[in-house]
Amino acid sequence: MNPQEEKVKIITEEFVENDEDADVGRQKTSRVQRRKRKKQLPTAGPDEMVSEKSHLGDQQEPGHEDPNADARPLSMPTRRGPRSLPPIPSASRTGFAEFSMRERMREKLQAARSKAESALLQEIPTPRPRRLRSPSEKELETEFGTEPGGKIQTTQQEDDSQSYSRVKFRDSVRKIKSKTPDEEELLDDKDAVDFLLGLDRGAEDIVAVRPADYESVHIRLQKEKELLFIPSRRTVPTYKKLPENVQPRFLEDEGLYIGARLEVPRTNQNIMENRLLMQEPGRRWFGDDGRILALPNPIKPFPSRPLVLSQEQDIKAELETLYKKAVKYVHRSQHMIGSGDPPGNFQLDIDISGLIFTHHPCFSREHVLAAKLAQLYDQYLARRQRNKAKFLTDKLQALRNAVQMSLNPAKTPKSLDTTRRAINEYKSEIRQTRKLRDIEQEKDRTLLKTIIKVWKEMKSLREFQRFTNTPLKLVLRKEKVDQKADEEAYEAEVQAEISELLEEHREEYEQRMDEYRSAHQQWKAWKKAQRTKKKKKKQGVEEHPDDEMEEPYPGEDPVKPVPPEPTNQAVIEQEVRERAAQSRRRPGEPMLVPELSLAGSVTPNDQCPRVEVLRREDVKRRSVYLKVLFNDKEVSRTNSRPLGADFRVHFGQIFNLQIVNWPESLTLQVYETVGHSGTTLLAEVFLPIPETTVVTGRAPLEEVEFSSNQHVTLDHEGVGSGVPFSFEADGSNQLTLMTSGKVSNSVSWAIGENGIPLIPPLSQQNIGFRSALKRADAISSIGTSGLTDMKKLAKWAAESKLDPNDPNNAPLMQLILVATSGESYVPDFFRLEQLQQEFNFVSDEELNRSKRFRLLRLRSQEVPEFRNYKQIPVYDREIMEKVFQDYEKRLRDRNVIETKDHIDTHRAIVAKYLQQVRESVINRFLIAKHHFLLADLIVEEEVPNISILGLRLFKLAEQKRPLRPRRKGRKKVTAQNLSDGDIKLLVNIIRAYDIPVRKPITSKFQQPPRSSRTFSEKQAASPTTHSPTHSADYPLSQVLVRPFVEVSFQRTICHTTTADGPNPSWNEELELPFRAPNGNYSTTSLQSVKDDVFINIFDEVLYDVLEDDRERASGIHTRIERHWLGCVKIPFSTIYFQAKIDGTFKIDTPPVLLGYSKEQSVVAERGFDPVRSLSEGSYITLFITMEPQLVPGESVREKFDSQEDEKLLQATEKFQAECALKFPNRQCLTTVIDISGKTVFITRYLKPLNPPQELLNAYPNNPQATAELVARYVSLIPFLPDTVSFAGICDLWSTSDQFLDLLAGDEEEHAVLLCNYFLSLGKKAWLMMGNAIPEGPTAYVLTREQSHYLIWNPCSGHFYGQFDTFCPLKSVGCLIGPDNIWFNIQRHDSPLRINFDITKPKLWKSFFSRSLPYPGLSSVQPEELIYQRTDKAAAAELQDRIEKILKEKIMDWRPRHLTRWNRYCTSTLRHFLPLLERSQGEDVEDDHRAELLKQLGDYRFSGFPLHMPYSELKPLIEAVYSTGVHNIDVPNVEFALAVYIHPYPKNVLSVWIYVASLIRNR
Amino acid sequence: MGPWSAVLLYTQHGEQCLAHRAAWKLLSGVREGQTQVDTPQVGDMAYWSHPIDLHFATKGLQGWPRLHLQVWSQDSFGRCQLAGYGFCHVPSSPGTHQLDCPTWRPLGSWREQLARAFVGGGPQLLHGDAIYSGADRYRLHTAAGGTVHLELGLLLRHFDRYGVEC
Repeated sequence: MNPQEEKVKIITEEFVENDEDADVGRQKTSRVQRRKRKKQLPTAGPDEMVSEKSHLGDQQEPGHEDPNADARPLSMPTRRGPRSLPPIPSASRTGFAEFSMRERMREKLQAARSKAESALLQEIPTPRPRRLRSPSEKELETEFGTEPGGKIQTTQQEDDSQSYSRVKFRDSVRKIKSKTPDEEELLDDKDAVDFLLGLDRGAEDIVAVRPADYESVHIRLQKEKELLFIPSRRTVPTYKKLPENVQPRFLEDEGLYIGARLEVPRTNQNIMENRLLMQEPGRRWFGDDGRILALPNPIKPFPSRPLVLSQEQDIKAELETLYKKAVKYVHRSQHMIGSGDPPGNFQLDIDISGLIFTHHPCFSREHVLAAKLAQLYDQYLARRQRNKAKFLTDKLQALRNAVQMSLNPAKTPKSLDTTRRAINEYKSEIRQTRKLRDIEQEKDRTLLKTIIKVWKEMKSLREFQRFTNTPLKLVLRKEKVDQKADEEAYEAEVQAEISELLEEHREEYEQRMDEYRSAHQQWKAWKKAQRTKKKKKKQGVEEHPDDEMEEPYPGEDPVKPVPPEPTNQAVIEQEVRERAAQSRRRPGEPMLVPELSLAGSVTPNDQCPRVEVLRREDVKRRSVYLKVLFNDKEVSRTNSRPLGADFRVHFGQIFNLQIVNWPESLTLQVYETVGHSGTTLLAEVFLPIPETTVVTGRAPLEEVEFSSNQHVTLDHEGVGSGVPFSFEADGSNQLTLMTSGKVSNSVSWAIGENGIPLIPPLSQQNIGFRSALKRADAISSIGTSGLTDMKKLAKWAAESKLDPNDPNNAPLMQLILVATSGESYVPDFFRLEQLQQEFNFVSDEELNRSKRFRLLRLRSQEVPEFRNYKQIPVYDREIMEKVFQDYEKRLRDRNVIETKDHIDTHRAIVAKYLQQVRESVINRFLIAKHHFLLADLIVEEEVPNISILGLRLFKLAEQKRPLRPRRKGRKKVTAQNLSDGDIKLLVNIIRAYDIPVRKPITSKFQQPPRSSRTFSEKQAASPTTHSPTHSADYPLSQVLVRPFVEVSFQRTICHTTTADGPNPSWNEELELPFRAPNGNYSTTSLQSVKDDVFINIFDEVLYDVLEDDRERASGIHTRIERHWLGCVKIPFSTIYFQAKIDGTFKIDTPPVLLGYSKEQSVVAERGFDPVRSLSEGSYITLFITMEPQLVPGESVREKFDSQEDEKLLQATEKFQAECALKFPNRQCLTTVIDISGKTVFITRYLKPLNPPQELLNAYPNNPQATAELVARYVSLIPFLPDTVSFAGICDLWSTSDQFLDLLAGDEEEHAVLLCNYFLSLGKKAWLMMGNAIPEGPTAYVLTREQSHYLIWNPCSGHFYGQFDTFCPLKSVGCLIGPDNIWFNIQRHDSPLRINFDITKPKLWKSFFSRSLPYPGLSSVQPEELIYQRTDKAAAAELQDRIEKILKEKIMDWRPRHLTRWNRYCTSTLRHFLPLLERSQGEDVEDDHRAELLKQLGDYRFSGFPLHMPYSELKPLIEAVYSTGVHNIDVPNVEFALAVYIHPYPKNVLSVWIYVASLIRNR
Repeated sequence: MGPWSAVLLYTQHGEQCLAHRAAWKLLSGVREGQTQVDTPQVGDMAYWSHPIDLHFATKGLQGWPRLHLQVWSQDSFGRCQLAGYGFCHVPSSPGTHQLDCPTWRPLGSWREQLARAFVGGGPQLLHGDAIYSGADRYRLHTAAGGTVHLELGLLLRHFDRYGVEC
């Protein structure tokens, strides 16, 4: 039963029992004693009561231990667990310490027990614990109550089971058993009653409510105390720690090393020791000295990491840091167009130390003298330093020695000849040196004399005026010389000189004597001859008396030579001595050394006369300052300093100029202020810009002189300047002195923090792009002066024959000597990677040879040939050599001008130039294109807002109207993943108007048309449209024309079906494939496609070629021929940029179409609609687009440099923004980019410019005709769209002279030129920006005639009235005049519907207005255009060559047929072409036809002249090809081709090509 | 990444000293570049996802390319300051590599640190050599500047032909 209950019960009284458990173990020893006592109890009868009483606790114990007793068995098993383990290891309880411990423990236990008992006693009266008993216990108790016998048994059993643990309880229980069973029963009954009364029995079975068990802190602490061991903090005596009878042994004392122990607090150590003693009694933790074993202290007293030096101490250069402020993020310029380097801060230090006036208006006379004296003295000092006389004397001496040496034959092994030459050279040199020395000596002497003289003058002046103004004082120091030695030297010198002179004279004499002798000989000979002559004459005097007369005349009559005088030694000696006395110091005379000092005293003011005082006061009032001008801009100025009495001004200021550019000029301006009145500019001093090697600290102070030309007269003692004055009393010997002075300054380059001089790089002087690398290169940034190149220097020294002994050259020679001698030899290379070579895999050459690598590099460099090259093969062998051919060829030919393609040299040059401009521009902008905006990278679709959503919803509810299709925007394709065949050109040919119709010319022609009509099914199909006409006008019911359209693009040809009549309607869509060059479909490549789309209109003519009339019934035999009627040419680039082209175009018809005429005569009388009859020419309606639609490249967004005023640029931006806001679709142009890439305001392009005089002379009286001619001239300049030349970059505007030089340009250039011509013709003309078909955004010219406006197409030369419906200009954005821009703010922009009156501000918004007046911008155009007459011969030659080439081409195009040329016809045509040019292709048709018919009566002739401006050959060939003349394959066809070139000024050529085919009529 | 709010990265690829440049030849790609600014909104990690595409040809092993990184941080005023220097070698074996490039920046004097904390900016090395030749670098007071994670895919070609095993 008990075990069952045990499981339910919760045991809480563990501590108590533990205590008791502990008792059990510990009290074993004392148990005997106790038992004795207890046994005594029953035996001692009389004492029973006492013992009863004394054991009251014991007796009651079972009573109130009941709950305990009840609980005990329940808790038994749990208790058993702990008991099985020994609570404290018994093994440790040995020895002395344990004994005392046990004693203490016992005491404690007893105390604890008594305490517990008293606590239990107190608990008795409370009924609660009883109530808390579990029901099972009650049952037990009731059993007790009912069966007392059994109860004893159970108690006994209980006792048995518990006997071991409960010795004392058993004792007490026995007592109770024997004595007081009643008590127990009572208690039990009471319990039972309690239960019966108070509680429902059923509930009690399950639930028991118990109080939270609590044990007071004291109890717990007490129990803990029993359980835990707390080591004492007291010091452990040493003997406890050591084995017994062992004395502590201190190893350190014995001399063994023991490291320092770790510092541990004493208490901690004690605790540890106590614990160890208790816990591990083996003492193995203690050393011989009785202390705990310990390792030496591991902590090092010093840091093992090296001490980090503080900031101030020396830090290696590479570890230097610089605090940089947080910088605002600026877009890195690495992708921008290189604006060069960021402006560095370079620094120029200008040190102005002072100013000295060498003359000043306030100088008194004494000052003048003093200045002179000072100057002389300076000169003297300079001369003395150089000591030229001494040097020359030495040189002379050396030369003399040399002569002596060479004269000695024993010592000179050289040949006699060379010696003599050497001696002669020496002698001449001696002579020169002596002369020089004499001059120098004389100069020295005179200088000295002058100094003394001036000093004397000064002294006398001071005496005269009785006051001194200057502290100058000259002292002449005499230096004694040894008279004897001096005299000897003097004498020796004189003697040497004399002997030399003598020798010289002797030589001279001998020479003279030689001369004399030869002369004398001659003279003698002459004399002799004379004499013989005379004799002869004497003989014939009688015969020839007049001979005698002539005799004295002859000029060759020589005078008898006088023998030279021998030299006189005495005279020479005399001369020498005189000269020596003059120029040299006399022997024995003391050497005079002048010394100038400022030791003198200046007379104080009160002792001076009034004028002098006035002067001094005037000087005091004056002050001077300097302005520093850098590149003509004032950058700083010095303080104003008063002029001292000595006319020196000390500034001592250093100006640090922080500069960006290379200095161009450095100027100092000297200003003088007098009193409080204004300042006057005295002079300008130009300072030299220092060499790059001159840096601060090394620059010497230099004195730069200045002078002024001002005239000053003063009313006091001051001498003034620019006015004459005199020292003499009588005013003679006048002097005029100008204000002058010296500025002592030094200019040098500052040195930066790291020792690098802050010098702008030299390359800045010549503007150009520099790579950033250069900056890193120290040498190039510092710059090398020529002086550092030793070799050059030495070479120069050798070449210029520098005298190595010249003291001037001494430092230079030293330098050269050191540099050229082997000691300081510096190799000009530096081996950095010594073993690089050995470790290389391959050599450089091999690496460079790899085609693949080369291709990769070229591709990444975006070289035009390889730009966007798609995939590069993996292996070298797969790369063809020819890939590079073009590239290499281009590199080779870069500078070779090739005339093969161009024929005309000028154009070849221009083409080359254009190519270069294009390349440079492209290279500049290629990088700029890599600069992306956020919008380029991130496509973020707009989040639909409620209004859009609402609209969408409404759309859902909208009615479906399938019969009213809406245009949907096509998807645009970026041209990246395209390949050949993906792109198609769609040409929709809708209809045409006014096609020329055939003319029934001769009866011969009537037959074939009729037959054609018969056999044409088409004709049958649509007779209704034409039949009335036919029947009316053509009795033979001839077909007017059967046109069809052929579209050719990139040599692919498509054509429509044939329609009928002059106003056909095809409505057909043609599809042409598009191939990009090199399969490169990138934007740039597509933009630069230069191909044109040719839309040719042909007439299909059927000829009956049936030979026999009899077969007509059974067979049909016709030949189809086609005759070219005209063409429309649209550049691909236009289609590409416009995306679609839709409109009616004028067909370019040849001026003469043989066999065809305009229908208008016929039409007019039939009353066609009036508008059309106004027009001339034929028209075609087209729609062209690309499939898929391509995204045209965007122009560069970069901003360009500009030299325009910043305000103006802002105004343009504002203007453009305003215009774009109102009419976003209208073109508004204010600034354009000129050919050098700068932004220029557009009106600067417009300026009256003279057209060629030749054109003006053509129609002197007809301004309209002149205008047309001029327009024609302009149109003859070839058209080259900018977008092609500068693919996708920008629109560059060239000025008119550039345009004429380049001979190529797009609409803007043409329009500008035409507008300028019109302006010069006195017309009112404007540049008109707008949209036209097919060009898209373009420029036209608007002129105002008397009453109406004319719109000129500058590229074709045609003009249209304002109300011409066929005017290609469809909208007008703005008008540009030479001085203003007007933006169209009318509702409509079609020229038909707008008013061109620009004075109305409601219709035209002008750029310059009252608020922003026209600032008068200068034009960028030249003053005048100069035209050269074109070389006619060259034109003729070109003409011949073109003709030849075209003929060859036509033959090439007809490979299967024989091409015959009709010479006769060709010559006829050749005569006809100039006529066409003269009449500009008008009104000649009839004459021409008549003539042709006359001459070529037998032939069926079809042909036409083509006219175009000349740019190069290819367009001409294309044009001829597109006419399809060569396609005729009639066997007996003959061809005729004539070319005529009409030269206009400035190499503008008008080319006429007449092509014709002739078929002989049978 | 460090605690900066926005980070810029300038990468300089394979910038070798002049002597080494001869051995390695850049065929295509850009030698140096700059990433965008990333403002980490979640966590401390800034993601740049900046592609590096380079193609080298070499004739020797000297001067193996390495990546020089400079991390810059941008504050709320749009000003930039240095946040760390770092460099790491391009691995020598082909394949995809995850590289961690620790960065550091000079600390400067206490005054400079104070200035950096309040007004931005900070000390920068005057000479870049100290970044990758670290013999004397211990003298410098530095602070860690975060780690840049790089993922490099590497293709080597023909190295085995010259006896280099990768």
